[in-house]
Amino acid sequence: MGRIILNAGIASFLFVFLFAVPVRAGEATEKIKQTTDKILSIISNPALKDPARAKEKKRLIREAVDERFDWEELSRRTLARHWLQRTPEEKKEFVVLFAQLLDRTYWSKVEDYSGEKVTYVGEQIDGDYGLVELKVLTSKNTEIPVFYKLKKKEGDWLVYDISVEGVSLVNNYRVQFNDIIGKSSYRDLVKKLKEKIEEKG
Amino acid sequence: MMKFWVLLLLTISLLTSFSPSSYGQEHETRPLSPVIFQSQGTSYPNGPLLSLNLAKEEEDFLKEEPQPSIADPLEPLNRVFFVFNDKLYFWLLKPVATGYKAVTPEPVRVGIRNLFYNLGFPIRFVNCMLQGKVERAGDEIARFVINSTIGMGGLLDVATNKCEIKRNEEDLGQTFGFYGMGSSFYIHWPILGPSSVRDTLGRVGDYFLDPLHYMDPTKYRLALNAFDGVNETSLTIGDYESLKKAALDPYIALRDAFYQNRRSKIEE
Repeated sequence: MGRIILNAGIASFLFVFLFAVPVRAGEATEKIKQTTDKILSIISNPALKDPARAKEKKRLIREAVDERFDWEELSRRTLARHWLQRTPEEKKEFVVLFAQLLDRTYWSKVEDYSGEKVTYVGEQIDGDYGLVELKVLTSKNTEIPVFYKLKKKEGDWLVYDISVEGVSLVNNYRVQFNDIIGKSSYRDLVKKLKEKIEEKG
Repeated sequence: MMKFWVLLLLTISLLTSFSPSSYGQEHETRPLSPVIFQSQGTSYPNGPLLSLNLAKEEEDFLKEEPQPSIADPLEPLNRVFFVFNDKLYFWLLKPVATGYKAVTPEPVRVGIRNLFYNLGFPIRFVNCMLQGKVERAGDEIARFVINSTIGMGGLLDVATNKCEIKRNEEDLGQTFGFYGMGSSFYIHWPILGPSSVRDTLGRVGDYFLDPLHYMDPTKYRLALNAFDGVNETSLTIGDYESLKKAALDPYIALRDAFYQNRRSKIEE
């Protein structure tokens, strides 16, 4: 159990974009690698190490991530059945808020990247859905199994969930959001999201 | 005076089991050898993640399908214990572990973790056999022998690093789950942390397979448990904090993460 907390923290989805040793590359895996390599090159670009260009660096990395992640799919899955009851404006608002929450939570992980090795284990494709498995090797010699779930949209593979050590990000938030909505309301959930995003530290 | 020390040791020893990293199972246990799986149920049986029914699974959520989750009838009480554990971590366990970390190099601490992991051999072995996972049980024996001899009593994890023997986690709670026992409901123990009815029963059973359990006198055993916990925590400082940072409701986040993780372990 402890592993999951350990690794939910460490191997967050942004942080998992690391240098990869290819074992066998399928379609979806290729896409993940493309994005990974792009982000890596941004992180290791000496020209961007200058603190004055930190904002630009962050923007570039964010763009690379946006290319591969389907924020709307991710967000609506965390709301699950509550999504259907939302108005179009509420849906838009939620997607933005949730992306901000993840950004705030996991950005520091990207900055903390220190050369952990990633091995692509394999992938499964089922029609428009794909599953990419990899293992991250930490400095303490522990291996963390990570799964990306992808969906094919307009010919491109986009990520809609990550699971670390058997714990899916989407499911974990889904249970939390469902609990909050059940105990109070959707508006309260939005309020809590905003508060969390504003939180210091 | 003695009583005070015994009590302190007892507290820390129990705390260690709480330490998010050492709940229920010994330490680092990740399958190591890269397994290339083909697209049809090969190396992995029907894990929820690996079911080929991704399409169906993912469309189901839009219907009024309830999320698989663990029942939590004791939630108010569990939340109290959650807060208690939270304070205990920040006020006691973490400061101690941080101090320890500052004076002990990481390779040493990893070595110590390996040592304690090696002691978990009986629990893993017995439960592998109980689940009929004979090949894994064989791996456990090989791992134990190699690490205890060449690995100097378990200090060096030669089995994983040089011999590519997969690491596993098996315990009685997983064995119960393997045979179809549901988790029943969630219990968040003070000090010990997240558990379920089933996993608590498993813990009790495994207790008798823990070599440390048979150590006399008691105070040495407690000291060792405490040491194990502090060492483990020193290697995982920051993870609990990350969980709290990422969650809107850390109690639920932890409960659900525990549930998902146990489920995936049982199914592998």
